[in-house]
Amino acid sequence: MQSMLAGLAVLALALGSAQLAQGQNSTARAAYKVPRTPDGLPDLQGIWQVRNTTAAFDVQDHAGALGIPPGRSIIVQPPDGKIPYKPEALAKRQDNFKNRDAADSLNKCYMPGVPRITYMDFPFQIFETPKYTLIAYEYIHNYRTIFTNGTKHLDGLDWWNGDSRGHWDGDSLVVDVTDFNDQTWFDASGDYHSDKLHVVERYTRTGPDTLQYEASIEDPEVYTGPWKISIPLYRHTEPNFRVLEYECQAYADEAAKGGGR
Amino acid sequence: MNLKSAILSAAVGVFIAAVPVVAHHSFAAEFDVAKPITLKGKFVKMDWVNPHSQIHIDVTDADGKVVTWSCEALPPNSLYRQGWRKDSLKPGDEIEIEGFQAKDGTTNMWTRSVKTADGRRMFAGNADALPPTAPAAPKDESK
Repeated sequence: MQSMLAGLAVLALALGSAQLAQGQNSTARAAYKVPRTPDGLPDLQGIWQVRNTTAAFDVQDHAGALGIPPGRSIIVQPPDGKIPYKPEALAKRQDNFKNRDAADSLNKCYMPGVPRITYMDFPFQIFETPKYTLIAYEYIHNYRTIFTNGTKHLDGLDWWNGDSRGHWDGDSLVVDVTDFNDQTWFDASGDYHSDKLHVVERYTRTGPDTLQYEASIEDPEVYTGPWKISIPLYRHTEPNFRVLEYECQAYADEAAKGGGR
Repeated sequence: MNLKSAILSAAVGVFIAAVPVVAHHSFAAEFDVAKPITLKGKFVKMDWVNPHSQIHIDVTDADGKVVTWSCEALPPNSLYRQGWRKDSLKPGDEIEIEGFQAKDGTTNMWTRSVKTADGRRMFAGNADALPPTAPAAPKDESK
């Protein structure tokens, strides 16, 4: 009984703080007027990066483990903050976790996929034109051209970062991403998908230096239903800040030789 | 450094140096223009990987033994720009692959074209890579 009461108290606290956070967000959002680019688009341009650096290790609630710092779930749907795996898929995820060093394609310097690249602890720069938005990521020279000119997805081939088509919805950039391969994960803990993955991203500027990133995820082969993550990004305001080059293989080679870390 | 570790370092060095050569090479380095080959068999799978895609095909020999061949083709983006798609070949499809055999006699070949089950011929190799002595490619009879 005592533990049940304690559980309820924790739940009440969690609900209370979630509501509080939500209230603060919506008030701040209502007061903030998103600036426009010379082309009249909501201005998301700038260099952005996460401050939550544990999501890239595990998007769900997690205790610390070897090579993984502890952190809270960034999953806002379903409300339990867990990926709605099918039973057999959950077993594969646990296998992935056990074999994460060898099985995570990121450790072989492959491209991270979407949305993982967004919350890896590296900056990226957003550039907007009327026909497309381009995101240039510091991490291993990745870039994504998000076409906003009404063109359709390229079908018939898989890509590490998928194929991105966007549109502007009020102040938000909404990006539909498909044509993924089945080689990438959501984090370093084995959370995975098949090549049927479909991601819908939403980028909403919530203040001069904050951008809320949301991604709705579905994959009928792996999950029982859709799920959604939400994580804030912060703008770099250092006057001399820029995206630099980050190569992967050279550092991985160094690490393999026992140096470089 | 003792002899053992010196040999190991040398071996590792050779291995690292050899990787790009093995992975990405000229036609002449690995394939023999004097060994044209046409395989008929069942399509198994395709590796859409750089720097060369690989088509895997099960070929049944005269004794009824099934041997899987690995057939090198253009990289994914080149195939894609030529009209190839992920589902252009489906597992189990009876296909015909035409090209040139590996110099070392292994079950590897360089793919010039693939004839699909419905008679289309899809080109999968860069003709510029071939030496001038190469025999001409077969025509697409479906057109």
